[in-house]
Amino acid sequence: MPGVGLPPLEQNLPPIVLRNYAKWVDHEEVRPGVLKHVAESGEECYTVRAGMPTNARVSTVLARRIADLADDFAGGHLRFTRRHSLELVGVDPARIDELIERLRGLGLPVGGTGRTFRNTVSCTGWIHCQFAATDAPAVAKAISDELYEDFLTERYPAKLKISISGCVNQCGEGSTADIGIVGIHRDLPRVIDEEVARCEIPLIVSVCPTGAIRPKPPKSVQVDPERCIHCVACAAPCQGMQIGDPETDGLAVVVGGKAGNSGNGPAFAKFVIPYLPNTPPRWPEVTRAVRQIVEVWVQGARRDERIGDWIARIGWDKFFQKAGLPMSDKLLDGYVLWPMSARTGVRFHW
Amino acid sequence: MLMVQLACPKCGFVIEQYGAEQLETDAQKQKRYQYLRKKQSLCPSCLTQTAKLEERRVELEAPPQAELMAEAEAPPEARAEGEAATPTPFCDELERGPWPSHVTELKQTRYHMQMYEEGLRQKRTQWGFGGYTSIPGVASGILMRASARPDIAKGANLVRAFCPSGTFYSTKTFRALCDVADRHGYGILHLHATTCDIEVLGVPKEELRATVDELVAAGLDVGSTGDAYRNCQECIGPLRCEMVLVDSVAMRQAYFTRFLDDVQYPRFPHKIKFKLSGCPNDCTRSQQKGDIAIVGVFRDPPRIDEARLDDWVKNGGDLAHVVRMCPTRAMEWDGRRLTIDADACVRCMYCINKCPAIRPGGDRGVAVLAGGKMRGKYGPLQPFLIAPLVPAIPPDFKEVFDLCAKITDVYDEHARRKERLGDFIYRTGIDEFCRLVGVAPTPQQMVAPRINPFYHWTPEELQASRKEA
Repeated sequence: MPGVGLPPLEQNLPPIVLRNYAKWVDHEEVRPGVLKHVAESGEECYTVRAGMPTNARVSTVLARRIADLADDFAGGHLRFTRRHSLELVGVDPARIDELIERLRGLGLPVGGTGRTFRNTVSCTGWIHCQFAATDAPAVAKAISDELYEDFLTERYPAKLKISISGCVNQCGEGSTADIGIVGIHRDLPRVIDEEVARCEIPLIVSVCPTGAIRPKPPKSVQVDPERCIHCVACAAPCQGMQIGDPETDGLAVVVGGKAGNSGNGPAFAKFVIPYLPNTPPRWPEVTRAVRQIVEVWVQGARRDERIGDWIARIGWDKFFQKAGLPMSDKLLDGYVLWPMSARTGVRFHW
Repeated sequence: MLMVQLACPKCGFVIEQYGAEQLETDAQKQKRYQYLRKKQSLCPSCLTQTAKLEERRVELEAPPQAELMAEAEAPPEARAEGEAATPTPFCDELERGPWPSHVTELKQTRYHMQMYEEGLRQKRTQWGFGGYTSIPGVASGILMRASARPDIAKGANLVRAFCPSGTFYSTKTFRALCDVADRHGYGILHLHATTCDIEVLGVPKEELRATVDELVAAGLDVGSTGDAYRNCQECIGPLRCEMVLVDSVAMRQAYFTRFLDDVQYPRFPHKIKFKLSGCPNDCTRSQQKGDIAIVGVFRDPPRIDEARLDDWVKNGGDLAHVVRMCPTRAMEWDGRRLTIDADACVRCMYCINKCPAIRPGGDRGVAVLAGGKMRGKYGPLQPFLIAPLVPAIPPDFKEVFDLCAKITDVYDEHARRKERLGDFIYRTGIDEFCRLVGVAPTPQQMVAPRINPFYHWTPEELQASRKEA
């Protein structure tokens, strides 16, 4: 029966962590993928971080092999970071090279600390989701392959986080990352009358943010194409509202999000490419666009400047020139919070 | 024993039941019962959506067993030889390249590769309608998904469990998790979903209960679906980080101790995601995603360890660069002495991250923000500051969680159904919302004061002015 809550700390925490609970004083990045933390007592704790398969999908076959490694090298404990990288904590420094080789043997690259490309975060996409406009795991895989070398070495001015969401529900958090990919639907939801008749019509009407959905007697709804913003809200409460069209669905690229308070403070990423078509299995247009944005950032930014901070310094107009991105009427905001992103002065960057 | 049941009107499947006596005395159960009665439900058995559940009162000997689960689905079988031979050119392409591939992982399990292959080929998902559901005894933690291609695979359910503290696993727990996934699911794990839930995919209906019980036995309690408090994500904090200002791990433990019922019994207008970050570096991205975001903060200016600073600079520390990159230009360095302008400093942690001789100041606590989300009516919203510095006192962090409970009570009382907390605050306005919650306004809550004169006065305030006149 559920209702027990969390297990006691001792059950899953390694002794070195319990011993030095809240007594850490310093840390240092020994090399990409290897961290050294120092406790008050002078005790040193080495951590090895490795990238995981895209979408954080792990078969039990791989999971058991990782558990074997954890038994062998880290005293029987392992952890995952908030970006779903694998970490083995408390590794004997003399055996780090051996561990890195063993992780490589499992296909897991070691890196992703400091000024590197970090593990991607993506939603389930077409593996197991009903809404996805694009296949986030495959896009994540394509981008990870493209930037693989940058995961292993520190070439960037600051860290680079890339997240991919299959639709605007943003389970994959595209808008939180330095560079995000957001799947977008562009066509109206198809209304299947007999299915809608079995759903709660007032709820379908009320979840629509723009009032585009109106009841259609006797027992169905209609969608106003002028008002619909393709937000997927109506598809969640009713199976009769079917969104998704293979010919017009695609994805958008957003840039400049981050959560930390340093630099320019927490911000969501902004749309810079309003639409790219779906081109499975490798999405070459997307990897090309990401590569383009990354390279102008690497050239232009100061040390410790994440993409959002760099753009805040040089201005979005300059960024579009530098990145060679075409302007589009879709990028000007016209939704409820639009005055926040519209220019009101004449301080341009030419 | 007289039981009150809520059942699917189409197939009669019992979605939830309570003892009649318990329902009269237990306020939590009453709330849940009222909520379920009004809520549109997805029947786990026949997968139809119903706006109104059927209410029944029945005399039962003992709590019903799994037999009630009608229409058993065939358990996932090891992939047949024939299916393995079906070509998957799109998936194979995704196995190329240096990064470890999810396709390689999926292929090692009983997941139906053709569902994914067809998705990639047709450029659309092959999965059908789905949603959160419950079985007797498990109100939250199970997600159903129907298949739009029953010719390839039937629908697959998944069970969500909370990750242990700091996402640390002992290999014993980890292997137990693998065993559950092998025994009942496809053998694929999602480590983790973006709110740090473990997901076990591909569990057939009749094995849901066993899966839940085995996960709970392994120390991984289930939940985090539906209109409830969700899994609370914390940063690694005191476990392996020197930046941490408050004990985020103990706070998550206290969260589950205090709110476990709210977590496991959905009853709110929409989901509520909690994020805890131990310091303003915000490793859990709470300031973007948290319906309730709790971030460790400090008030006194950063402390400078002079001796250590000299050491650090001598060993190649680039202090001039740190000073130059300070976002509010609050630092000055003349080559010998470093000063920080406490008035200009915004406590952003940049210099503290970069230079080990600068450490956070005292007077620590947490800031509580509410209303972050990525979707919903008004699009992505960052959470709004409710209180800038709340004392965080272990072990139960009463002040912090009292405020959170007040926020969600107001939300529960006033919000429309399926309206996220952020949308609700946007609709009411931060001024009105703070009045409803009963927190005193602080200047930290605004980037700048308002520029329009359109604010409300209460009749009492007008009356007071009249009296004075």
